Amino acid sequence: MRLIRHLQHWLGGSGPGLRVADVVPKTNSIRQWSDTFPWAEMVEAIEKSVARRFPKRCARGRRPVPTRVLLALELLKHEVGASDEAICERLRTDVAVMYACGLETVQLDSPQDHFVLPETLAQFRSRLDEALIDELLAIQAAAAMDEGLVSPAHLIVDTFPAEQGSQRVTDATTLYKAQKKSSSSSRTSPSKASRKRRR
Amino acid sequence: MRSFGRQCRGQAKIFVKLVRHTETRLLEVGSAIAHLAQEAQQTLDQAPHLSASTQERLGSELSIATQRHHRISKQSRRLTQGRRLSHCKIVNAYDPTIAPILKGKSNCPAQFGRKPGILSEPTAGFIFAAHAPLGNPSDASYVLPLLDNVQNAIERLRGPKRPSIQSLAGDLGVNDPTLRQALHARGILTVGIPETPWPINPKPSPEEILAALNEAGLNRKRTPHQVQLACACGYSRPVVESHIACLLSRGAGQIRYKGPQGAVVQLGMTVMAHNGAALIRVRQQRLSKRAQKFRRLLGLRGRNINQINDPKN
Repeated sequence: MRLIRHLQHWLGGSGPGLRVADVVPKTNSIRQWSDTFPWAEMVEAIEKSVARRFPKRCARGRRPVPTRVLLALELLKHEVGASDEAICERLRTDVAVMYACGLETVQLDSPQDHFVLPETLAQFRSRLDEALIDELLAIQAAAAMDEGLVSPAHLIVDTFPAEQGSQRVTDATTLYKAQKKSSSSSRTSPSKASRKRRR
Repeated sequence: MRSFGRQCRGQAKIFVKLVRHTETRLLEVGSAIAHLAQEAQQTLDQAPHLSASTQERLGSELSIATQRHHRISKQSRRLTQGRRLSHCKIVNAYDPTIAPILKGKSNCPAQFGRKPGILSEPTAGFIFAAHAPLGNPSDASYVLPLLDNVQNAIERLRGPKRPSIQSLAGDLGVNDPTLRQALHARGILTVGIPETPWPINPKPSPEEILAALNEAGLNRKRTPHQVQLACACGYSRPVVESHIACLLSRGAGQIRYKGPQGAVVQLGMTVMAHNGAALIRVRQQRLSKRAQKFRRLLGLRGRNINQINDPKN
């Protein structure tokens, strides 16, 4: 099942809109961190690469979650040291995370459900490859050099060991799985009951 | 007393205390063996009264003696999980092929790790390129792919004046003659890569600068000022450890994503997140005195945040 099709009910809405940039102060660390990235170029590079390697067979279906949101969440995950579940949870409530994800306005009367599931992040990661990561790094470095912040004149090379870690089952993972299981069972139970009634 | 050795070869009983005591003594005795062996080899080569067969026999015995100490010292320096072994460095004195390794299990880390490489600038710790190869190749093999990535980034710049890579610093692991030649061919100084375990001279004399330029064949391409900066950069090369520590604090020390692609994605994302934080520090001028001085010498001046640039009207 394609998850992307079920995730965007939060982006729409009819109530008053909250301008995210007005709420997040300029001194906020996530806002400052987010402002250092050349988002437009990075998103363009990802979309080009993904379109080349995974061409769409048909144009039907709901529009996918924006690449900007997924890329920002993936980067933020490493910046704040959060898990997939935690960062997706923060996107619902933390306005600074919304700012980092490029959301300009948020509808106040929205149902506040998940609109990016952790599985979507995993799916997004599986579409990234080494060439694309190198390209993204090059884009970031070029933007920093263009701004005159860094110079590649003198460089240092080094290596470090990284051990293969195992995906640990945390409390957050267990809770998320339990909630998902209970919600799916509650969704299926009325339909089963109605079928029984028909019989 | 403990049992060591593989089941297939038969286990042997070892007095552990005796082994540790012997190892310490052997390392002490053999600390000067490399120097003495070099002198002995030279003396042997300059001994005309010895026949060729005798010279060959003595030479082979000398090399065997050197290798034995080398094996012991290599085991004593071995790292497991990034930490030096605290005890029992010689696992089995009677079976030198058994070496200490870190064994992992399906739910326990570290059996199969990776060795990512980074290329960073020494002032703010901005990482220009990262590489996570398969297996555990030599450190020298990381350099050219990393430099290619930096070159790609430079080619993305729009302005007419593009910066160039002037020098590269590294540890003894990248001290490879072939690599040095390749770097010189690209116009990159290698005075920051040491040839001995001793620190690089941060303030070379004019003669030393001229010799370095002549050796690299970059007399007309690089200036003495650039050589001085390269030497200073090589001298302060250990600053890269702080960049690595930053990456480790962001979780780069443990690969949680699956497979080689997962390792590449995790490393890349961690490096980009780190770079964002480094750029904030540069913008806010929250840099060390050394970094500020180095930036001044490179002509990278930060904005004066106290100055109000907005028009008043």
